Amino acid sequence: MDLVFRTAYVFVLIFVVTRAVGRRELSSMEPFDVILLVVIGDLVQQGVTQSDYSLTGATTVIATLALLTVLTAWLSFRFRALRPVLEGDPVVLISDGRLHERNLRRERMTVEEVEAEARQQQLASLDDVRFAVLETNGRISFVSK
Amino acid sequence: MGDTFEQLDREPTSVTSAPWVRRAILVALAVVVVLAVLDRFGQRPSVTAARAPAATMRLSAPAAVRGGLFFQSRLDVRAGRAIEHPRIVLDAGWVEGMQVNSIEPAPVSEASREGRVVLSYDALEAGDVLRVWLQFEVNPTNVGHRSYAVELDDAERPVARISPEITVWP
Repeated sequence: MDLVFRTAYVFVLIFVVTRAVGRRELSSMEPFDVILLVVIGDLVQQGVTQSDYSLTGATTVIATLALLTVLTAWLSFRFRALRPVLEGDPVVLISDGRLHERNLRRERMTVEEVEAEARQQQLASLDDVRFAVLETNGRISFVSK
Repeated sequence: MGDTFEQLDREPTSVTSAPWVRRAILVALAVVVVLAVLDRFGQRPSVTAARAPAATMRLSAPAAVRGGLFFQSRLDVRAGRAIEHPRIVLDAGWVEGMQVNSIEPAPVSEASREGRVVLSYDALEAGDVLRVWLQFEVNPTNVGHRSYAVELDDAERPVARISPEITVWP
């Protein structure tokens, strides 16, 4: 019984932490971030299963995580009002060629980062961009003029 | 160059693309979680008791445990009359495939009787309570269902007996 509750607690904790950290940080991980992610994974495993190495325990935890994941996706699909909470909203960074610096600050992004993303999508200059949107998965979509 | 979409099925035929297969798998997972919440996989303790004129005996122990985990069993004996040679007799299921971490208080002596473990303690007067904590760790290969019976004897004369069973999950 405690395994299910510990798993549910950690699921909610990770959800809150990832939402608080921000989508941009999670989609563009540096080596430090990757190592931190592995360390967090290890700590989470210890917290959830503790000294439980049993097959039954592993099955219970995986089943609980799978159900919570499906439940979250279903809630997001079924209730539109929950989507901003569960998935976040796309954030407009450039509209009609105008940079929204307030939104950049909100997402802790610099213009240079947006320019780098634009270059990776074969856009030579932000002057060529009509819209840039930070999607909920942390990637930036560009619409050229 | 070829069309990269050419090889894609317009109507997916894989088994897991069928909604009912996915739903069946999710239901199976939900059953596992519900059983876990209902403590079918251990290892919360439940209480069983036996009452006799000479003594009452209460055993707090899990009915199910998982391989590799620590657990505790607690035995309370309340003497209804004087018991000169109290002996706690444990069925083989208590120690078969279990690591015995500690028994507190430790018995005065230990012995074997027909494949069972006999723990001897000091004499009890009427109204005395003997409480024994037994700490174990489950051997991961010790999977199955076995007797977890415990008997209180006065020397070799049975006084009270509790006969629970324990299930060890892999």
